[in-house]
Amino acid sequence: MAALGLQKQKMTVPTRFRSPAGPLRMPLSLLICGAAVLQPLTPAAAEPLKKAELKAEAPPTATAELPGRHKAFLEKHCVECHGAEKQKGKLRLDDISLTVDTPGKADRWAKILNSINSGEMPPEEAKQPDQGAKADFLDALSQTMVTARKALSDQGGNITMRRLNRREYQNTLRELLGVEMNVGTLPADGSPDTFDTVGSALFMSPDQFLMYRQLGRKALDQGFEAAVAKPEVRKARYEAEAETRPMVERSLAEFVSIRKRYTKWTKAVDEAAKLPENQQLAAELREKNKDKAEKFYLEWEKLKGAPSPKEFGFPDAVDANMMNGRWEQYVPQGADYMARPKSKTGTFLGVAHLNHRWVSVPVPKQWPAGEYRVRAMVAATEEGPADRRFVDFLSDYPSSQVLSTHQVTGTMEQPQLLEIPVFIDADGNNRFKFAEKAIMGNPDGVGPAAQVFVAGFQENRIGPEYAVWIDWVEVEGPFVSPRVSKTRADLRARIESFERKECDAREFLTQFAVRALRGRVVAPEFLDKLCALYEARVKAGEKPLEAVKNPLSLLLASPSFLYVAEPADDGKRRALTSLELASRLSFFLWSSPPDEELLKLAASGELQKPEVLAQQVERHLADARSDRFIKPFVLQWLGLSRLDFFQFSTKLYPKFDLPTKAAAKDEVIETFSHLLKTRGSLASLLKSDFVYVNGLLAGYYDIPGVTGDEFRKVALPPDSPRGGLLGMAAILAMGSNGEQTSPVERGAWVLRKLLHDPPPPAPANVPQLNRLANKQLTTRERIALHQEDAQCAQCHRKIDPVGFGLENFDAVGKWRTVDQRPGVPPDNREIKPEGAFFKGPAFRNYYELRDLVAAKPERFARGFTEALVEFGLGRPFGFSDEALAEEILSQAARKDFQVAEFIHALVATKAFHSK
Amino acid sequence: MNPQLSRRHFLRAAGSAIALPALESLGFRAFAADKVAARPKRMIFLGFGFGVTQETWFPDTAQVGTDYKLPEGLAPLERHRKDFTVIQGLSNKYSQDAHWGSTFWLTGANRFAEPGQSFHNTISADQVAVSKLGRETRFGSIQLNGGEPDLVAHHQGHGPGLSLAWDAGGKPVAGLNSPAALFHRLFSEEPMPLAQRQALLAQEKSVLDAVLSDAKQLQRGLTKSDNDKLNEYFQSIRELETRIARDEAWLGVAKPKAPLNEPPENMRGKEEVKLMYDLMVAAFQTDSTRVFTYRQPSEAFVKSLGVKVGVHDMSHYAPGERMEASQARDRAQSELFAGLLDRLKGVREPDGSSLLDHTCIAYGSNLRTVHTLDNCPTVIAGGGAGVKLGHHIVAPKGTPLCNLWLTLLRGVGVGAERHGDSTGVLKEVVA
Repeated sequence: MAALGLQKQKMTVPTRFRSPAGPLRMPLSLLICGAAVLQPLTPAAAEPLKKAELKAEAPPTATAELPGRHKAFLEKHCVECHGAEKQKGKLRLDDISLTVDTPGKADRWAKILNSINSGEMPPEEAKQPDQGAKADFLDALSQTMVTARKALSDQGGNITMRRLNRREYQNTLRELLGVEMNVGTLPADGSPDTFDTVGSALFMSPDQFLMYRQLGRKALDQGFEAAVAKPEVRKARYEAEAETRPMVERSLAEFVSIRKRYTKWTKAVDEAAKLPENQQLAAELREKNKDKAEKFYLEWEKLKGAPSPKEFGFPDAVDANMMNGRWEQYVPQGADYMARPKSKTGTFLGVAHLNHRWVSVPVPKQWPAGEYRVRAMVAATEEGPADRRFVDFLSDYPSSQVLSTHQVTGTMEQPQLLEIPVFIDADGNNRFKFAEKAIMGNPDGVGPAAQVFVAGFQENRIGPEYAVWIDWVEVEGPFVSPRVSKTRADLRARIESFERKECDAREFLTQFAVRALRGRVVAPEFLDKLCALYEARVKAGEKPLEAVKNPLSLLLASPSFLYVAEPADDGKRRALTSLELASRLSFFLWSSPPDEELLKLAASGELQKPEVLAQQVERHLADARSDRFIKPFVLQWLGLSRLDFFQFSTKLYPKFDLPTKAAAKDEVIETFSHLLKTRGSLASLLKSDFVYVNGLLAGYYDIPGVTGDEFRKVALPPDSPRGGLLGMAAILAMGSNGEQTSPVERGAWVLRKLLHDPPPPAPANVPQLNRLANKQLTTRERIALHQEDAQCAQCHRKIDPVGFGLENFDAVGKWRTVDQRPGVPPDNREIKPEGAFFKGPAFRNYYELRDLVAAKPERFARGFTEALVEFGLGRPFGFSDEALAEEILSQAARKDFQVAEFIHALVATKAFHSK
Repeated sequence: MNPQLSRRHFLRAAGSAIALPALESLGFRAFAADKVAARPKRMIFLGFGFGVTQETWFPDTAQVGTDYKLPEGLAPLERHRKDFTVIQGLSNKYSQDAHWGSTFWLTGANRFAEPGQSFHNTISADQVAVSKLGRETRFGSIQLNGGEPDLVAHHQGHGPGLSLAWDAGGKPVAGLNSPAALFHRLFSEEPMPLAQRQALLAQEKSVLDAVLSDAKQLQRGLTKSDNDKLNEYFQSIRELETRIARDEAWLGVAKPKAPLNEPPENMRGKEEVKLMYDLMVAAFQTDSTRVFTYRQPSEAFVKSLGVKVGVHDMSHYAPGERMEASQARDRAQSELFAGLLDRLKGVREPDGSSLLDHTCIAYGSNLRTVHTLDNCPTVIAGGGAGVKLGHHIVAPKGTPLCNLWLTLLRGVGVGAERHGDSTGVLKEVVA
């Protein structure tokens, strides 16, 4: 009877969704419960909505409840053994509460869910439920469990004090001491389902404390040294040919020698073969090896009197054959190279074999750490194809890694000057190099280089045309940015005053602490102890300036420094002080402590004025340091780390090389950044008539007329599949495994990130479809089987159709109409993107799918808002945040979902100003 | 909680827990031999991410007892079959999300046990063992955490955490991540003269004292959850204080001479595992510690076998290249494990027994295969816990994995009442 009542109330909910009042009149708070996509709410999803409405006046918490109609399923299939009469396994389901509001109930329901998912229940011998009904039940229960877990772990707006994460710690040391520290030794932050700013997931361990002390000490040593050093800019220039020509010459000479020695040896073996005692055997061996005549010499030992290849300077016969066999690929190429006039004044970057694939930029070892600039005078040859007119800039030690990629637009007549800022740290990289794009630094060895070489070699027996020529390279520095320069000047002044004894250690420490602790005053007791440590050091014979580093390094490992603390009474929300607000804002948008301007505004109390605060948000977003917010936020929000999970097959996808993959990832970040900084709308990420790309990526997308490394806005023709996240190579490639597309990954990503309807986590212990073993199936056939078992269908019926709608993009995001991969049967190659959202509208192709997604910007905006709240406040988004989300959303919606407006709105909320 | 009081309390307790180094470590091996009839017990927990290839790793459930055929994935262990037992049917009932890999393997905790939090963990079995086995050695326990340090652990199939170990408060314990680091921890002498070292330890104590005063100042007026957070800091400092107390106790006792060469830096994958095993044996030989956990590398391991498939992809195997990769991983791991058993057998204790006779090794994963979390792959080896060896045991489905941990803990002499969600000892393995 109660169930009937519930049903009735539910009926009222969907109408609100259908109301044409516009997305923002909708109770956005209610969208959360995982309504199926783009359709009137299913009763399953509507149930918790009702709860939220009923509780509108109570504190905004949500309870999870399994919709009453699902009781029928339990009654039909479970109650016989788990009812009033029998309670197998001590479980009774006829009177079980459908409300999941305690950890105990959640555990019990989790167990029930798990036993149905694993196929354990209903038992084999019992009558099995209809697959559709089972899928519906599992779907509802899974969603209820997600809601329950979320509700039960709701922190009620409480922000757990957070430790500086690796990024913030690194930035803080830079602001404080003007140093660039490698923080890679600290444990990585974050957990699978939160941001790296969420306090409860940022831990501390004894070893970590020791690392903080070590790193802090190192930063102090370097910072103090740099502060008092007289900056002297040095420069070293290297003519490219000076490295390359001697190497090629040496290679050539080596091959001439090899050929000479090899000829001598094989002649000697031939002579031995002519001896009467060898003749018959030799004839047999030659016959056996007639396909590859040189293999005859591998068997020299069998011939009496034949000399060992060792006598001719080869380790063995295999090596002798191999070295001699390389002549073809090396010598004509080398001779051709040496004969080119321009190889006498520069280097043509090669792709394989000879040592002319790179030009090195060594940085003299004794040069101090700091910002340097590497320059190169480069030109594209006339003959080189357009898609090879790029250079990679790589690190050379400890491993070859591409640091950046640059399009070469200069000509042989008018080369172009490349300038790349690099950071050289005291014990890290001090050698860089340039190479043609994707030729070096591939984790799987030669990568696409072999393909380029073979193609060219087959044509002319020399090698492919050269695409890039380098005249010279140079490195100059260290340069000090104005900001670091100011940091150092301040530090120098304080050091000098300390050394002149104008201030004592206590004062020096106090001054340092004010900056380090973001405006807070160091506690007297702590200061006493720091001073005592200093005294002990001095007593032990250390110089004052050395001795003071010890307590300072401790300060940099103290809780006041490492944690962003906002003391408050339990259960009471209080307003942040101006200083705390300054820290929160600065760590949010710059991942670093407040700068002087912000501290000043905080000290005067001005920062509390809404218009001043809004100005500060603008200033922070406009500053280059906002990249420290944009990049980590976007990477984590959209889950882009998956792109680095696997290697893309260079055999299948030679065009999607590492530099292209990096550019594709940058596209997502750059597009977001562009929207943020130009008051663009978040909805542009769903669909837009432009892309934000550089020359490399434009080439990959076959968009003509874009040259250069800068990302820029480029208009698209109306029929372009690009424009918006769904058309971005990074997003599509992420939905593959490096070889083939994964419609499941793609579909789930769209539900999770774009439609804010995340499928529950993949259930554990679902039996595998064993009968599929050893069957060759197409992707679509294989995935169709997901629909067969209720355990799979409950989610896959929602996920898979969306993924199939994106099948026109291959594993690396290139448009296709047929699946050309080897192994796909010819009659199955045609891409069939048509499908329908589960219980929702149908689409005939990718374009219609994209339009349907783009028609729901408020869903996307909702997910974005939650992510922003989580990242900015450093705590999980909970049910108690409904009002907060609505406030932000409605303000952003009034401004056409401008990205920047979400940030302004969040900063203006009470939550942002409260502990 | 009053931190001052609890800290003093703690130090007192910690001080009394640190016994003097055993005589034998000082070089009085012969003298000590007759006095140490009972050889020290040792434990090793070896956990790998991403489970196993279930089709070719688990013995046939119809063949139980001593007469069973080792399947392909375990075949390299054949020569040791009398020294280990394969157990099926165990699982952590609260582990319902495959993406949490090894986080709860040794703890059996319910991630959601704490209202208002989305993550909760409890002490791991190895750390429980430390209370008994960790007193007499220079290091109470050593955690190893393999693989590329830059790869976030959940990409390695292990889930959150810094190693397999979780401390008494359910917080992650960090691990050493290379054989070179382990070698230095075990055998590299502090280059500092004794007096200076003493002075330094004294100074370190005042250093910790200083940061504690800051922590206490900060603690005033913090909310409960903030305090819990700050407690991690307190715990870290206290742990360091214990280390110092231990260091002091061992000051003047030279670190043992390394019975093997210093491993090169940057050993990854298969080489890393082999060297870590060598060093574990060396650590036992020199009685430097008696408890190890090792969260093994995944990505680097598979790469070092020449497998081209990414490790996460491999874990979602289907017949073909990915399944073959998964099987190659199983075999390589079993070969290395067999090598470890060889070496433990090869080391003789003063009473003529072998190291393996007194060592208890658990080898397995919280994940069976793909997304499956029941029937955790489990092998126990060595005589340390006095459990039944040479058997294939199939426990009733759903038997808590923690029952095994409890059995092993009791087997090595830890008087634990229960562990995690244990419901009792695992009768099937009690000899």
